[in-house]
Amino acid sequence: MMDVLGYKLYEDVTVYDVLFVVVVMVVATIVAKLITTNLRRALIDKMKRDQLELMLKIIYFGIIVIAFIGVLPTLGLELSGLLVAGGIAGIVIGFASQSVVANLVSGIFLISEKPIKIGDQINIDGVAGFVEDVNILSTIIRTYDGLYVRIPNEKVFTSNITNYVAHIARRFEYVIGIRYSDDAEKAIEIIKNLIEDHPFALKNPEPQVFVDNLGDNSVNIVVRIWAPSTEWYSVKMELLWKIKTELERNGIEIPFPQRVVWFANELKANVEGKEEGWQA
Amino acid sequence: MFGYHELSDFSAEIGKISIRFEKDGNFYRYVREDDGREEKSIFTGSGRVIINPVEPVNLPKEITNFLQIKFDKKFLSEPKFSTEVYLTFPIEIAVFIAAKKSLGLIDVFSLNKPKFTLYGDPRAGIICRYWESGVYSDIPEVDKYREGVMKLRITNSDDEWVEVNSVVLDVYGMKIYYDGELVYSAASMNITSPKVAETRFIERPLRDSMKKALELYVARRIAVTRSKFVMEWGL
Repeated sequence: MMDVLGYKLYEDVTVYDVLFVVVVMVVATIVAKLITTNLRRALIDKMKRDQLELMLKIIYFGIIVIAFIGVLPTLGLELSGLLVAGGIAGIVIGFASQSVVANLVSGIFLISEKPIKIGDQINIDGVAGFVEDVNILSTIIRTYDGLYVRIPNEKVFTSNITNYVAHIARRFEYVIGIRYSDDAEKAIEIIKNLIEDHPFALKNPEPQVFVDNLGDNSVNIVVRIWAPSTEWYSVKMELLWKIKTELERNGIEIPFPQRVVWFANELKANVEGKEEGWQA
Repeated sequence: MFGYHELSDFSAEIGKISIRFEKDGNFYRYVREDDGREEKSIFTGSGRVIINPVEPVNLPKEITNFLQIKFDKKFLSEPKFSTEVYLTFPIEIAVFIAAKKSLGLIDVFSLNKPKFTLYGDPRAGIICRYWESGVYSDIPEVDKYREGVMKLRITNSDDEWVEVNSVVLDVYGMKIYYDGELVYSAASMNITSPKVAETRFIERPLRDSMKKALELYVARRIAVTRSKFVMEWGL
Protein backbone atom coordinates (compact mmCIF):
# COMPACT_ATOMS: atom_id res chain seq x y z
CA MET A 1 0.00 0.00 0.00
CA MET A 2 2.78 2.39 1.00
CA ASP A 3 4.53 1.55 -2.23
CA VAL A 4 1.52 2.61 -4.25
CA LEU A 5 1.18 5.89 -2.34
CA GLY A 6 4.89 6.55 -2.72
CA TYR A 7 4.88 5.82 -6.46
CA LYS A 8 6.24 8.85 -8.33
CA LEU A 9 3.95 10.06 -11.08
CA TYR A 10 6.27 12.80 -12.30
CA GLU A 11 9.24 14.63 -10.80
CA ASP A 12 8.75 14.46 -6.99
CA VAL A 13 4.96 14.20 -7.13
CA THR A 14 3.66 10.94 -5.77
CA VAL A 15 0.23 9.31 -5.75
CA TYR A 16 0.00 10.43 -2.13
CA ASP A 17 0.45 14.07 -3.22
CA VAL A 18 -2.30 13.78 -5.81
CA LEU A 19 -4.61 12.12 -3.30
CA PHE A 20 -3.79 14.88 -0.79
CA VAL A 21 -4.70 17.52 -3.38
CA VAL A 22 -7.97 15.73 -4.20
CA VAL A 23 -8.87 15.48 -0.51
CA VAL A 24 -8.03 19.15 0.11
CA MET A 25 -10.13 20.22 -2.87
CA VAL A 26 -13.06 18.03 -1.77
CA VAL A 27 -12.82 19.41 1.78
CA ALA A 28 -12.58 22.98 0.42
CA THR A 29 -15.68 22.41 -1.74
CA ILE A 30 -17.59 20.99 1.24
CA VAL A 31 -16.48 23.88 3.47
CA ALA A 32 -17.43 26.41 0.76
CA LYS A 33 -20.82 24.74 0.37
CA LEU A 34 -21.40 24.70 4.14
CA ILE A 35 -20.43 28.35 4.54
CA THR A 36 -22.55 29.55 1.61
CA THR A 37 -25.56 27.46 2.69
CA ASN A 38 -25.44 28.86 6.21
CA LEU A 39 -24.86 32.39 4.97
CA ARG A 40 -27.82 32.08 2.59
CA ARG A 41 -30.07 30.96 5.47
CA ALA A 42 -28.81 33.75 7.71
CA LEU A 43 -29.01 36.57 5.16
CA ILE A 44 -31.90 35.60 2.88
CA ASP A 45 -34.31 38.05 4.54
CA LYS A 46 -31.71 40.75 5.13
CA MET A 47 -30.26 41.26 1.64
CA LYS A 48 -31.55 41.61 -1.89
CA ARG A 49 -31.53 38.21 -3.55
CA ASP A 50 -29.28 39.17 -6.46
CA GLN A 51 -26.69 40.80 -4.19
CA LEU A 52 -26.79 37.80 -1.86
CA GLU A 53 -26.29 35.31 -4.71
CA LEU A 54 -23.38 37.34 -6.10
CA MET A 55 -21.75 37.53 -2.68
CA LEU A 56 -22.24 33.78 -2.10
CA LYS A 57 -20.72 32.98 -5.50
CA ILE A 58 -17.68 35.12 -4.74
CA ILE A 59 -17.25 33.41 -1.35
CA TYR A 60 -17.78 29.91 -2.79
CA PHE A 61 -15.34 30.26 -5.66
CA GLY A 62 -12.95 32.34 -3.53
CA ILE A 63 -12.56 29.46 -1.03
CA ILE A 64 -12.03 26.93 -3.83
CA VAL A 65 -9.50 29.13 -5.66
CA ILE A 66 -7.55 29.83 -2.45
CA ALA A 67 -7.47 26.11 -1.66
CA PHE A 68 -6.34 25.33 -5.21
CA ILE A 69 -3.56 27.92 -5.12
CA GLY A 70 -2.54 26.54 -1.71
CA VAL A 71 -2.09 22.97 -2.97
CA LEU A 72 -0.40 23.85 -6.26
CA PRO A 73 3.15 23.46 -4.81
CA THR A 74 2.21 19.92 -3.73
CA LEU A 75 1.69 19.12 -7.39
CA GLY A 76 5.08 20.60 -8.19
CA LEU A 77 3.58 23.66 -9.84
CA GLU A 78 5.02 27.04 -8.93
CA LEU A 79 2.91 30.15 -9.46
CA SER A 80 5.72 31.95 -11.32
CA GLY A 81 6.00 29.05 -13.72
CA LEU A 82 2.26 28.97 -14.06
CA LEU A 83 2.17 32.58 -15.17
CA VAL A 84 4.43 31.83 -18.14
CA ALA A 85 2.71 28.55 -18.90
CA GLY A 86 -0.65 30.22 -18.35
CA GLY A 87 0.15 32.89 -20.93
CA ILE A 88 0.92 30.33 -23.58
CA ALA A 89 -1.93 28.09 -22.55
CA GLY A 90 -4.25 31.09 -22.58
CA ILE A 91 -3.48 31.79 -26.22
CA VAL A 92 -4.01 28.16 -27.16
CA ILE A 93 -7.21 27.86 -25.13
CA GLY A 94 -8.42 31.21 -26.44
CA PHE A 95 -8.18 30.06 -30.03
CA ALA A 96 -9.63 26.66 -29.22
CA SER A 97 -12.59 27.99 -27.31
CA GLN A 98 -13.56 31.31 -28.80
CA SER A 99 -17.24 30.96 -28.00
CA VAL A 100 -16.52 30.04 -24.39
CA VAL A 101 -14.28 33.08 -24.02
CA ALA A 102 -16.86 35.28 -25.75
CA ASN A 103 -19.49 34.03 -23.30
CA LEU A 104 -17.12 34.58 -20.39
CA VAL A 105 -16.31 38.15 -21.40
CA SER A 106 -20.00 38.85 -22.08
CA GLY A 107 -20.80 37.41 -18.66
CA ILE A 108 -18.30 39.72 -16.97
CA PHE A 109 -19.79 42.72 -18.80
CA LEU A 110 -23.34 41.60 -17.92
CA ILE A 111 -22.44 41.27 -14.25
CA SER A 112 -20.75 44.68 -14.18
CA GLU A 113 -23.31 46.53 -16.37
CA LYS A 114 -26.26 44.86 -14.61
CA PRO A 115 -28.99 45.27 -17.23
CA ILE A 116 -30.69 42.34 -15.50
CA LYS A 117 -30.72 41.06 -11.94
CA ILE A 118 -31.77 37.78 -10.40
CA GLY A 119 -35.55 37.82 -9.96
CA ASP A 120 -36.19 40.40 -12.71
CA GLN A 121 -38.88 39.75 -15.30
CA ILE A 122 -37.26 40.06 -18.70
CA ASN A 123 -37.59 39.26 -22.37
CA ILE A 124 -34.45 38.31 -24.30
CA ASP A 125 -34.90 37.54 -27.95
CA GLY A 126 -38.45 36.27 -27.45
CA VAL A 127 -37.71 34.30 -24.26
CA ALA A 128 -39.73 35.89 -21.46
CA GLY A 129 -39.66 34.98 -17.78
CA PHE A 130 -37.83 35.41 -14.50
CA VAL A 131 -34.03 35.62 -14.28
CA GLU A 132 -33.01 32.65 -12.15
CA ASP A 133 -29.26 33.13 -12.33
CA VAL A 134 -26.60 35.14 -14.14
CA ASN A 135 -23.59 32.84 -14.39
CA ILE A 136 -20.22 33.63 -15.81
CA LEU A 137 -21.02 31.74 -19.05
CA SER A 138 -24.77 31.72 -19.31
CA THR A 139 -28.00 33.27 -18.04
CA ILE A 140 -30.77 31.06 -16.72
CA ILE A 141 -34.38 32.04 -17.34
CA ARG A 142 -37.48 30.45 -15.83
CA THR A 143 -40.22 31.14 -18.34
CA TYR A 144 -43.71 32.05 -17.15
CA ASP A 145 -44.85 28.49 -17.86
CA GLY A 146 -42.04 27.12 -15.69
CA LEU A 147 -39.53 26.04 -18.34
CA TYR A 148 -35.78 26.19 -17.75
CA VAL A 149 -34.00 28.13 -20.51
CA ARG A 150 -30.24 28.57 -20.62
CA ILE A 151 -29.08 31.42 -22.84
CA PRO A 152 -25.34 31.83 -23.56
CA ASN A 153 -24.13 35.19 -22.26
CA GLU A 154 -22.82 36.22 -25.69
CA LYS A 155 -26.38 36.03 -27.03
CA VAL A 156 -27.76 37.89 -24.00
CA PHE A 157 -25.16 40.61 -24.43
CA THR A 158 -25.81 41.14 -28.15
CA SER A 159 -29.62 40.84 -27.99
CA ASN A 160 -32.22 43.44 -27.16
CA ILE A 161 -33.10 42.99 -23.50
CA THR A 162 -36.48 44.14 -22.25
CA ASN A 163 -36.48 44.36 -18.47
CA TYR A 164 -40.07 44.75 -17.29
CA VAL A 165 -39.14 45.65 -13.73
CA ALA A 166 -35.98 47.74 -14.18
CA HIS A 167 -37.99 50.85 -13.39
CA ILE A 168 -39.94 51.19 -10.21
CA ALA A 169 -43.29 51.83 -11.92
CA ARG A 170 -44.83 51.14 -15.31
CA ARG A 171 -47.95 52.07 -17.22
CA PHE A 172 -50.51 49.84 -18.88
CA GLU A 173 -53.49 50.69 -21.02
CA TYR A 174 -56.99 49.46 -21.85
CA VAL A 175 -59.26 50.55 -24.67
CA ILE A 176 -62.88 50.17 -23.59
CA GLY A 177 -65.64 50.62 -26.16
CA ILE A 178 -69.11 51.69 -25.08
CA ARG A 179 -72.30 52.16 -27.11
CA TYR A 180 -72.97 55.48 -28.81
CA SER A 181 -76.18 55.73 -26.78
CA ASP A 182 -74.29 55.43 -23.45
CA ASP A 183 -73.17 58.37 -21.34
CA ALA A 184 -69.38 58.52 -21.81
CA GLU A 185 -68.90 60.97 -18.93
CA LYS A 186 -70.66 58.60 -16.54
CA ALA A 187 -68.52 55.71 -17.81
CA ILE A 188 -65.36 57.76 -17.23
CA GLU A 189 -66.51 58.60 -13.69
CA ILE A 190 -67.18 54.92 -12.91
CA ILE A 191 -63.77 53.86 -14.26
CA LYS A 192 -61.99 56.63 -12.31
CA ASN A 193 -63.69 55.53 -9.09
CA LEU A 194 -62.63 51.93 -9.63
CA ILE A 195 -59.03 53.02 -10.23
CA GLU A 196 -59.13 55.15 -7.09
CA ASP A 197 -60.33 52.16 -5.08
CA HIS A 198 -57.45 49.92 -6.16
CA PRO A 199 -54.48 50.28 -3.79
CA PHE A 200 -51.80 49.58 -6.38
CA ALA A 201 -53.22 51.82 -9.13
CA LEU A 202 -50.87 54.70 -8.34
CA LYS A 203 -52.20 58.08 -7.29
CA ASN A 204 -49.24 59.75 -8.97
CA PRO A 205 -48.53 59.67 -11.93
CA GLU A 206 -52.22 60.34 -12.26
CA PRO A 207 -54.29 57.80 -14.20
CA GLN A 208 -55.78 59.04 -17.47
CA VAL A 209 -59.29 58.16 -18.62
CA PHE A 210 -60.62 59.88 -21.75
CA VAL A 211 -62.61 59.37 -24.96
CA ASP A 212 -59.91 58.62 -27.50
CA ASN A 213 -61.88 58.13 -30.69
CA LEU A 214 -65.30 57.52 -32.17
CA GLY A 215 -64.96 54.03 -33.61
CA ASP A 216 -67.03 52.13 -36.17
CA ASN A 217 -69.01 50.33 -33.52
CA SER A 218 -68.27 52.10 -30.25
CA VAL A 219 -67.08 55.19 -28.44
CA ASN A 220 -63.57 54.18 -27.39
CA ILE A 221 -62.37 55.20 -23.94
CA VAL A 222 -58.66 54.91 -23.25
CA VAL A 223 -57.63 54.05 -19.68
CA ARG A 224 -53.98 54.54 -18.71
CA ILE A 225 -52.85 53.44 -15.27
CA TRP A 226 -49.47 53.45 -13.56
CA ALA A 227 -48.68 50.65 -11.12
CA PRO A 228 -45.60 49.40 -9.25
CA SER A 229 -43.58 47.22 -11.64
CA THR A 230 -43.86 44.28 -9.28
CA GLU A 231 -47.66 44.50 -9.19
CA TRP A 232 -48.72 45.81 -12.60
CA TYR A 233 -49.83 42.49 -14.07
CA SER A 234 -52.14 41.60 -11.18
CA VAL A 235 -53.57 45.15 -11.23
CA LYS A 236 -54.16 44.87 -14.98
CA MET A 237 -55.95 41.54 -14.60
CA GLU A 238 -58.11 42.61 -11.66
CA LEU A 239 -59.18 46.02 -12.94
CA LEU A 240 -60.31 45.08 -16.43
CA TRP A 241 -62.97 42.68 -15.24
CA LYS A 242 -64.07 45.04 -12.46
CA ILE A 243 -64.50 47.83 -15.04
CA LYS A 244 -66.51 45.56 -17.32
CA THR A 245 -68.88 44.35 -14.59
CA GLU A 246 -69.26 47.80 -12.98
CA LEU A 247 -70.09 49.42 -16.33
CA GLU A 248 -72.70 46.74 -17.03
CA ARG A 249 -74.15 47.15 -13.54
CA ASN A 250 -74.71 50.81 -14.41
CA GLY A 251 -76.40 50.03 -17.71
CA ILE A 252 -73.37 50.83 -19.87
CA GLU A 253 -72.60 48.04 -22.29
CA ILE A 254 -69.63 47.10 -24.38
CA PRO A 255 -71.14 46.67 -27.90
CA PHE A 256 -70.51 43.86 -30.36
CA PRO A 257 -69.19 44.89 -33.78
CA GLN A 258 -72.18 46.02 -35.85
CA ARG A 259 -72.89 47.73 -39.13
CA VAL A 260 -76.01 49.58 -40.23
CA VAL A 261 -76.84 48.76 -43.85
CA TRP A 262 -79.11 51.01 -45.90
CA PHE A 263 -80.63 49.62 -49.10
CA ALA A 264 -81.21 51.98 -51.98
CA ASN A 265 -84.44 50.14 -52.97
CA GLU A 266 -87.02 48.94 -50.54
CA LEU A 267 -86.75 45.22 -49.93
CA LYS A 268 -89.77 43.03 -49.60
CA ALA A 269 -89.11 40.58 -46.84
CA ASN A 270 -91.40 37.72 -45.90
CA VAL A 271 -91.18 37.80 -42.15
CA GLU A 272 -94.19 35.56 -41.55
CA GLY A 273 -93.04 32.80 -43.93
CA LYS A 274 -96.55 32.12 -45.37
CA GLU A 275 -95.53 31.51 -48.95
CA GLU A 276 -94.79 28.08 -50.28
CA GLY A 277 -91.34 26.82 -49.66
CA TRP A 278 -91.19 28.52 -46.27
CA GLN A 279 -93.57 26.12 -44.60
CA ALA A 280 -92.06 23.88 -42.01
CA MET B 1 -57.64 48.18 23.62
CA PHE B 2 -54.06 48.81 22.45
CA GLY B 3 -51.65 47.13 24.83
CA TYR B 4 -50.99 43.77 26.47
CA HIS B 5 -53.72 41.20 27.09
CA GLU B 6 -53.91 37.63 28.33
CA LEU B 7 -54.26 35.13 25.52
CA SER B 8 -57.02 33.04 27.04
CA ASP B 9 -60.45 34.14 25.83
CA PHE B 10 -59.23 37.48 24.46
CA SER B 11 -61.71 39.25 22.18
CA ALA B 12 -62.10 42.80 20.90
CA GLU B 13 -64.17 44.86 18.48
CA ILE B 14 -62.43 47.53 16.40
CA GLY B 15 -64.85 49.31 14.13
CA LYS B 16 -66.58 46.60 12.14
CA ILE B 17 -63.69 44.17 12.71
CA SER B 18 -63.85 41.64 15.51
CA ILE B 19 -60.85 39.62 16.71
CA ARG B 20 -60.68 36.82 19.25
CA PHE B 21 -58.75 33.80 20.42
CA GLU B 22 -60.51 30.49 20.84
CA LYS B 23 -59.10 27.52 22.73
CA ASP B 24 -59.17 24.42 20.54
CA GLY B 25 -57.79 21.37 22.34
CA ASN B 26 -54.05 21.83 22.79
CA PHE B 27 -53.76 25.06 20.84
CA TYR B 28 -55.44 28.40 20.22
CA ARG B 29 -57.22 29.61 17.15
CA TYR B 30 -56.98 33.28 16.19
CA VAL B 31 -60.04 34.55 14.34
CA ARG B 32 -60.56 37.93 12.63
CA GLU B 33 -63.95 38.66 11.12
CA ASP B 34 -65.01 41.61 8.99
CA ASP B 35 -66.22 41.03 5.44
CA GLY B 36 -64.55 37.65 5.41
CA ARG B 37 -63.02 35.36 8.01
CA GLU B 38 -59.30 35.12 8.66
CA GLU B 39 -58.18 32.25 10.83
CA LYS B 40 -54.81 31.15 12.12
CA SER B 41 -53.83 28.35 14.49
CA ILE B 42 -51.35 29.13 17.22
CA PHE B 43 -49.43 26.37 18.90
CA THR B 44 -48.72 27.65 22.37
CA GLY B 45 -49.70 26.68 25.87
CA SER B 46 -49.88 30.24 27.11
CA GLY B 47 -48.76 33.72 26.17
CA ARG B 48 -49.73 37.35 25.98
CA VAL B 49 -51.40 39.16 23.15
CA ILE B 50 -50.09 42.56 22.13
CA ILE B 51 -52.32 44.82 20.06
CA ASN B 52 -50.31 47.64 18.57
CA PRO B 53 -50.48 50.40 16.01
CA VAL B 54 -47.66 49.75 13.50
CA GLU B 55 -46.00 51.39 10.49
CA PRO B 56 -48.67 51.80 7.79
CA VAL B 57 -46.93 50.04 4.91
CA ASN B 58 -47.94 46.41 5.32
CA LEU B 59 -51.30 46.19 3.58
CA PRO B 60 -52.42 44.73 1.23
CA LYS B 61 -48.81 43.54 0.98
CA GLU B 62 -45.49 45.05 1.84
CA ILE B 63 -44.00 46.64 -1.28
CA THR B 64 -42.38 49.72 0.21
CA ASN B 65 -41.11 51.23 3.44
CA PHE B 66 -41.95 54.82 2.59
CA LEU B 67 -44.93 56.94 3.55
CA GLN B 68 -45.94 60.09 1.70
CA ILE B 69 -48.28 62.44 3.52
CA LYS B 70 -49.77 64.91 1.07
CA PHE B 71 -50.97 68.18 2.59
CA ASP B 72 -54.51 69.19 1.71
CA LYS B 73 -53.33 72.79 1.34
CA LYS B 74 -49.92 74.02 0.23
CA PHE B 75 -47.69 75.15 3.07
CA LEU B 76 -45.46 78.17 2.48
CA SER B 77 -42.44 78.33 4.75
CA GLU B 78 -40.54 81.49 5.58
CA PRO B 79 -36.72 81.55 5.02
CA LYS B 80 -34.62 80.55 8.03
CA PHE B 81 -37.69 79.70 10.04
CA SER B 82 -38.85 76.70 12.00
CA THR B 83 -42.36 75.73 13.00
CA GLU B 84 -44.29 72.76 14.32
CA VAL B 85 -47.48 71.47 12.70
CA TYR B 86 -49.70 68.47 13.30
CA LEU B 87 -50.64 65.99 10.57
CA THR B 88 -52.56 62.77 10.56
CA PHE B 89 -51.18 59.42 9.40
CA PRO B 90 -52.90 56.09 8.70
CA ILE B 91 -52.90 53.36 11.31
CA GLU B 92 -52.38 49.69 10.73
CA ILE B 93 -53.04 47.44 13.70
CA ALA B 94 -50.81 44.45 14.40
CA VAL B 95 -51.59 41.50 16.62
CA PHE B 96 -48.50 39.99 18.22
CA ILE B 97 -48.10 37.05 20.53
CA ALA B 98 -45.39 37.06 23.16
CA ALA B 99 -44.21 33.84 24.72
CA LYS B 100 -40.86 32.64 26.06
CA LYS B 101 -39.23 36.05 25.52
CA SER B 102 -39.99 35.93 21.81
CA LEU B 103 -42.47 37.81 19.65
CA GLY B 104 -44.56 36.40 16.84
CA LEU B 105 -46.67 38.42 14.41
CA ILE B 106 -50.14 36.97 13.99
CA ASP B 107 -52.03 39.51 11.92
CA VAL B 108 -52.08 43.04 10.53
CA PHE B 109 -55.30 44.80 9.59
CA SER B 110 -56.56 48.34 9.09
CA LEU B 111 -59.75 50.32 8.97
CA ASN B 112 -58.30 52.47 6.15
CA LYS B 113 -58.19 51.66 2.47
CA PRO B 114 -54.53 51.56 1.41
CA LYS B 115 -53.36 53.59 -1.57
CA PHE B 116 -49.91 53.89 -3.10
CA THR B 117 -48.15 56.53 -5.13
CA LEU B 118 -44.87 57.23 -6.86
CA TYR B 119 -42.54 59.87 -5.47
CA GLY B 120 -40.06 60.96 -8.12
CA ASP B 121 -39.88 59.62 -11.64
CA PRO B 122 -40.60 56.05 -12.77
CA ARG B 123 -36.90 55.39 -13.44
CA ALA B 124 -35.44 56.21 -10.06
CA GLY B 125 -38.33 57.25 -7.80
CA ILE B 126 -39.80 55.33 -4.91
CA ILE B 127 -43.19 53.77 -4.31
CA CYS B 128 -44.83 55.23 -1.20
CA ARG B 129 -47.91 54.54 0.85
CA TYR B 130 -50.13 57.56 0.12
CA TRP B 131 -52.07 59.54 2.68
CA GLU B 132 -53.76 62.93 2.56
CA SER B 133 -53.80 65.07 5.67
CA GLY B 134 -54.78 68.51 6.79
CA VAL B 135 -52.11 70.74 8.34
CA TYR B 136 -53.14 71.65 11.89
CA SER B 137 -51.70 74.01 14.45
CA ASP B 138 -53.18 71.94 17.32
CA ILE B 139 -53.72 68.23 17.83
CA PRO B 140 -56.70 67.32 15.63
CA GLU B 141 -59.46 65.00 16.79
CA VAL B 142 -59.13 61.62 15.14
CA ASP B 143 -60.38 58.06 15.47
CA LYS B 144 -57.37 56.43 17.18
CA TYR B 145 -58.02 53.10 15.49
CA ARG B 146 -58.01 54.73 12.07
CA GLU B 147 -55.55 57.65 12.25
CA GLY B 148 -52.62 58.77 14.31
CA VAL B 149 -51.35 62.29 14.90
CA MET B 150 -47.88 63.28 13.78
CA LYS B 151 -46.02 66.33 15.04
CA LEU B 152 -43.85 67.55 12.19
CA ARG B 153 -41.16 70.11 12.81
CA ILE B 154 -40.55 71.95 9.53
CA THR B 155 -37.29 73.90 9.38
CA ASN B 156 -36.56 76.01 6.34
CA SER B 157 -32.77 76.37 6.27
CA ASP B 158 -32.84 77.99 2.83
CA ASP B 159 -32.76 81.72 2.07
CA GLU B 160 -35.94 81.60 0.00
CA TRP B 161 -39.61 81.06 0.69
CA VAL B 162 -40.37 77.39 0.06
CA GLU B 163 -43.69 75.80 -0.85
CA VAL B 164 -44.24 72.41 0.77
CA ASN B 165 -46.90 70.03 -0.56
CA SER B 166 -45.98 66.77 1.08
CA VAL B 167 -43.55 64.96 3.33
CA VAL B 168 -41.97 61.58 2.54
CA LEU B 169 -40.71 59.48 5.44
CA ASP B 170 -38.85 56.20 5.73
CA VAL B 171 -40.99 54.20 8.15
CA TYR B 172 -38.11 51.89 9.03
CA GLY B 173 -37.25 54.60 11.52
CA MET B 174 -40.82 55.29 12.66
CA LYS B 175 -41.52 55.43 16.38
CA ILE B 176 -45.18 55.20 17.36
CA TYR B 177 -46.52 55.95 20.83
CA TYR B 178 -50.01 55.41 22.16
CA ASP B 179 -52.23 55.86 25.19
CA GLY B 180 -55.97 55.63 25.78
CA GLU B 181 -56.66 58.73 23.69
CA LEU B 182 -54.15 59.02 20.93
CA VAL B 183 -51.68 57.32 18.61
CA TYR B 184 -48.74 59.61 18.11
CA SER B 185 -45.50 59.95 16.18
CA ALA B 186 -43.05 62.80 15.65
CA ALA B 187 -40.84 63.69 12.72
CA SER B 188 -38.72 66.51 11.40
CA MET B 189 -38.30 68.00 7.95
CA ASN B 190 -35.25 70.11 7.27
CA ILE B 191 -35.60 72.01 3.99
CA THR B 192 -32.20 72.63 2.46
CA SER B 193 -33.35 74.01 -0.90
CA PRO B 194 -36.72 74.63 -2.61
CA LYS B 195 -36.57 71.08 -4.05
CA VAL B 196 -34.72 69.14 -1.35
CA ALA B 197 -35.46 68.25 2.26
CA GLU B 198 -34.18 65.79 4.82
CA THR B 199 -36.76 63.92 6.88
CA ARG B 200 -36.45 61.68 9.90
CA PHE B 201 -38.53 60.37 12.75
CA ILE B 202 -38.00 61.60 16.28
CA GLU B 203 -38.02 59.23 19.23
CA ARG B 204 -40.07 61.32 21.65
CA PRO B 205 -43.61 60.74 22.97
CA LEU B 206 -46.15 63.54 23.30
CA ARG B 207 -46.76 62.63 26.95
CA ASP B 208 -44.46 60.73 29.28
CA SER B 209 -47.27 58.31 30.11
CA MET B 210 -47.48 57.13 26.50
CA LYS B 211 -46.34 53.60 25.66
CA LYS B 212 -44.06 52.88 22.76
CA ALA B 213 -45.54 50.59 20.13
CA LEU B 214 -43.63 47.55 18.91
CA GLU B 215 -42.20 48.20 15.47
CA LEU B 216 -42.93 45.61 12.82
CA TYR B 217 -39.50 45.94 11.23
CA VAL B 218 -37.97 45.14 14.61
CA ALA B 219 -40.23 42.11 15.02
CA ARG B 220 -39.22 40.99 11.53
CA ARG B 221 -35.54 41.53 12.44
CA ILE B 222 -34.96 43.89 9.52
CA ALA B 223 -31.61 45.60 9.93
CA VAL B 224 -32.10 49.36 9.64
CA THR B 225 -28.93 51.12 8.57
CA ARG B 226 -30.25 54.62 8.01
CA SER B 227 -32.74 56.75 9.86
CA LYS B 228 -33.16 59.72 7.54
CA PHE B 229 -34.55 60.15 4.06
CA VAL B 230 -33.61 62.82 1.56
CA MET B 231 -36.53 64.13 -0.48
CA GLU B 232 -34.76 65.03 -3.71
CA TRP B 233 -37.63 64.99 -6.19
CA GLY B 234 -39.46 68.00 -4.91
CA LEU B 235 -41.49 68.99 -1.89
